[in-house]
Amino acid sequence: MEGTAVKTKKLRVSHQNMRKIHGLIFMLPWLIGFILFFIKPLVNTIKYSFHEVGVADNGGMTLKYVGLQNFTNLFRAEVSSQSQTFARVFTDENIDIFMNTPVIVIFSLFCAILVNVKFKGRGLARVIFFLPIVLGLKVVVDLIMITSGGDVADAAVSSQFDTSGLINFLLNYTFLPLNVTLFISDLASNIFMLISQTGVQTLIFLAGLQSINRSLYEVARIEGANSYEVFWKITLPLLSNISLFALIYTFVDMFLQSSISTEIYYFAFNKNNIGVGSALSVVYLFNVLIDLVLLLFIMSKVVKLNHGDK
Amino acid sequence: MATSEVKTVKRIDGYVLKDKLHKFVFGYLFYSLVIGLGFAIIYPLIKLLPVVFNNLEDLGNPDVIWVPIKYSTVSFQAAIRLVFGNFVPMLQSLGYSVIIAIIQIFVCAIAGYSLGRVEFWGRNLLTFLVILSFVVPPQSLLISQYLSFKHFDIFGIISAMHGSTIDLINQPYTLYLIAFFGFGVKQSMFIFVFRQFFKGLPKELEEAAFIDGCGFYKTYFRVALPNAVPAIMTVAILAFVWNYGDTYYTGYFHPDGPYLSNKLMTTFSEANVQNILYAIKTWYAVPGATTFSFDAVKQAAAIIYLLPLLLIYFLVQKRIVENFEQSGIVG
Repeated sequence: MEGTAVKTKKLRVSHQNMRKIHGLIFMLPWLIGFILFFIKPLVNTIKYSFHEVGVADNGGMTLKYVGLQNFTNLFRAEVSSQSQTFARVFTDENIDIFMNTPVIVIFSLFCAILVNVKFKGRGLARVIFFLPIVLGLKVVVDLIMITSGGDVADAAVSSQFDTSGLINFLLNYTFLPLNVTLFISDLASNIFMLISQTGVQTLIFLAGLQSINRSLYEVARIEGANSYEVFWKITLPLLSNISLFALIYTFVDMFLQSSISTEIYYFAFNKNNIGVGSALSVVYLFNVLIDLVLLLFIMSKVVKLNHGDK
Repeated sequence: MATSEVKTVKRIDGYVLKDKLHKFVFGYLFYSLVIGLGFAIIYPLIKLLPVVFNNLEDLGNPDVIWVPIKYSTVSFQAAIRLVFGNFVPMLQSLGYSVIIAIIQIFVCAIAGYSLGRVEFWGRNLLTFLVILSFVVPPQSLLISQYLSFKHFDIFGIISAMHGSTIDLINQPYTLYLIAFFGFGVKQSMFIFVFRQFFKGLPKELEEAAFIDGCGFYKTYFRVALPNAVPAIMTVAILAFVWNYGDTYYTGYFHPDGPYLSNKLMTTFSEANVQNILYAIKTWYAVPGATTFSFDAVKQAAAIIYLLPLLLIYFLVQKRIVENFEQSGIVG
């Protein structure tokens, strides 16, 4: 009797351990990929950024330690597209991303709320509102936008509205300061670029909205809350986890499309300066991570996240 | 008596009227918002149509904006001749996207299952690493990834067996390799989606399977995976669309491949404007072709490129939302 009990106990433990081992086997492809395609390149990039990389006689690479010289070169270098210094492009991109990310997230939340309401023609509205998933591909956006400028640019598809009317209207009929007016008109002129980024986020928000328990709304109605209060007291707090996800997704996506990333290739392979290119990669990487931490910090101040067992 | 009755009726009328007005005003505002936003989203597409069907010589003519004077399909013909050829490249890139999507689903599903369900050692650390690899943009690792693919070696094993390192750049299987090891287009996000989904799946299903005598793998393939259809559908759609439109991995790691997205980007790059204009002028006898004609051809190419995506999108769009909702990204 005793022997069998011990035996079954032993078997059970080994079963659980087997399960863990099986689980690790399932993770194995990703783990190998993580080491090969993530850790190794990451370490190498950081290594290259402190070295001058040249080609050796036998076809390999030679590394010469140069300290921080690559980084100082980087901030003085001019970028490929415009004759601007890198530092300028860098700050511009960061400001752009910090301006556009909240706008995209709020806009997609708005779209999701609109298509979540029951009305006639909702199916059609959903089809159109999710089109940016397809239309927002970088290739498609690049292809649709016109390349030729000129004074008859209206004849083709232009990414820009005529915003002077909007600026005049806002300046004359509202009491907004000039900065705010210019910001709004900037948003309006970039509306197609912004909209083309919203597809997936709208989908995420809509899924989140539909997962909210209906009875909560009923209770709020019975208690006498109006739609405004329902939105701020129920919808938004329950969406906070999702908005965090949408925010991070948007943020990463914006960085993927920023022009900094194309510069990396330009520095490394067109200018044949792998050291500076790697220094740029490192700066870019830390930029993303620091911005993200900043974003999370701001988010944690603004909204209380539901730290459940999620 | 009579007067009071009239009064109540009047009061009800007023209430109904107010309610109706309320509904009308809000309905009006709501519909105008929806229609306005919808219009803003499809405006670029609407604006394309008159351009691509226009006679090439009339482009840039300020008299012709919305309704072409002469219709022609020259831009489509030029686009097909320049990029699409006999549509084999399109089939190839569609096939490529499907295969990559399947690989991504397979790898991400097993990794997600393991992260969501199995309590192995260091699981939280691995989850954190998955999120980290989602957050770090792949471009920042481009240079050393490129170099390590150029002289590919796994801890010296390959050079010991093969004599030298192998060049993986411009090999068709490089992209499949990247996808198989979990670092394709936004693959970390897919792992996360699967993790969330499997976490929400009821435990009883697996326990029942275990009692009935299923091992770990049988449980996964017979019980967990068939129940994961919503997550699989979501990931499949996104993976397919993103791989079809991907220019990063295809462009850097297999630049000579038959991928349409890549081909379109190089054909219609700004350096190529004059060549394409020359080609259009000689092929279709349009001496008056300007840069507007270049844009028209480019946009016609974009429409042809989008057609399969739009077709698939309209077929599955009804299921996208419900799948996404169930796919557990919400939790």
